[in-house]
Amino acid sequence: MSGRETERRIRFTLGDALRLGYEYIIRRKNRAIINIAAIALGIAFLSTLLMTDALYRAYALAGGDRLGVETYQYWLMFVALIVSVVGITNAMLIAVYERYREIGTMKCIGAMDRHILLLFLVESFIQGVVGGAAGYIIGLGAAILSTGFGIGFDVILFVPVTDSLGLLASSMVLSTILSVGATLYPAFRAAKLHPVEALSYEL
Amino acid sequence: MSFDTIIEMEDLARHYEMGGVTIKALDGVDIEIGRGEYVSIVGPSGSGKTTLFNMVGGLDRPTRGRVYIDGVDISKLDAYELAWLRCRKIGYIFQTFNLIPVLTAVENVALPTVFAGVPRNEGLKKAEKILTSVGLGERLHHRPLELSAGQQQRVAMARAMANDPAIILADEPTGNLDLNTGMEIIDLLHGLNKTQGMTLVAATHDLKMIKASDRIVWMRDGKIEKIERG
Repeated sequence: MSGRETERRIRFTLGDALRLGYEYIIRRKNRAIINIAAIALGIAFLSTLLMTDALYRAYALAGGDRLGVETYQYWLMFVALIVSVVGITNAMLIAVYERYREIGTMKCIGAMDRHILLLFLVESFIQGVVGGAAGYIIGLGAAILSTGFGIGFDVILFVPVTDSLGLLASSMVLSTILSVGATLYPAFRAAKLHPVEALSYEL
Repeated sequence: MSFDTIIEMEDLARHYEMGGVTIKALDGVDIEIGRGEYVSIVGPSGSGKTTLFNMVGGLDRPTRGRVYIDGVDISKLDAYELAWLRCRKIGYIFQTFNLIPVLTAVENVALPTVFAGVPRNEGLKKAEKILTSVGLGERLHHRPLELSAGQQQRVAMARAMANDPAIILADEPTGNLDLNTGMEIIDLLHGLNKTQGMTLVAATHDLKMIKASDRIVWMRDGKIEKIERG
């Protein structure tokens, strides 16, 4: 049993983690939906503000009045993002407690600490991507509605395509970073669990 | 140590500190278990059965003494080697089954093969074969909660066998089952031991399991009280 030999034999690839993480999300929908909603709301707030600002600028360029987003609204957005990070950390910590026995069992059948870590991070990665896309769509709709009622629905003609695509990309990157970042601590706790402790845990 | 010894415990002890008091869950256990042997560990609760099980399974580290598996001192293994041991060499069966609830029966059984690096299709095919051999060929795609307790324990048995381990460790495998389903599990385990030569170490209260075994180790207060031939 040399180290190199065993290294070849214990394996848990990113593909395995993705498949298992996907099963966890699909078959435990409720918890995933809460996490996705938390991140989507924060991102929706962000994309509403940025999109509204882009629309105002496009409107001004087209000869309309120069309108702007208030500074305090950016502060609200910042707070909303922090709240979603805290919410996700909390939900993932509960998920770790719920899965104590499963984590212990996984360690009995060959999972190493890093595999458990990977599994939780992959799950939050998927939730971040979905939440980012959902939040962007909600935000885009909200921005069009709010500016539409203010300066008329002709505004749709001014939707800046490159800006909105850029915003989609940055929404998804930001939501993924926030979601994975919020899960780091819970995932690390799960990975470090001692198998005997995890197996004897009663919820 | 003779050639066909697979598990050897040497002055094995595990002490816990609890509220300033030292609890001696295991206190100097010496025993050798032969390859292909069926050993029952018997004793009142708190006698150290589960602690012994955890030590042999490489799930916990001893306070004193050694566990050798195939002549290798498992306290000397690094994280990789320990994971390999748990994955390939030992199959665990628990009183509470401990299946992964989001996975189907066949996915549960195939999970150890994922860690063993077996290609996915091959692992699933093997899982199907083992499940069929324990009589669950019709229940492959059911999830644990859709199965009866006896069926769940058979899935857990199939999972324990997935990587053809040399040793099966069973902690009260019939503890949560009624008489008949318990009997089925005992027959299956006994069959595995006899036909495939798997070494079986089972902590149990169940008289029927005890009767089927080659040797019975009676424990009390973290020590071996007596060893009987079955």
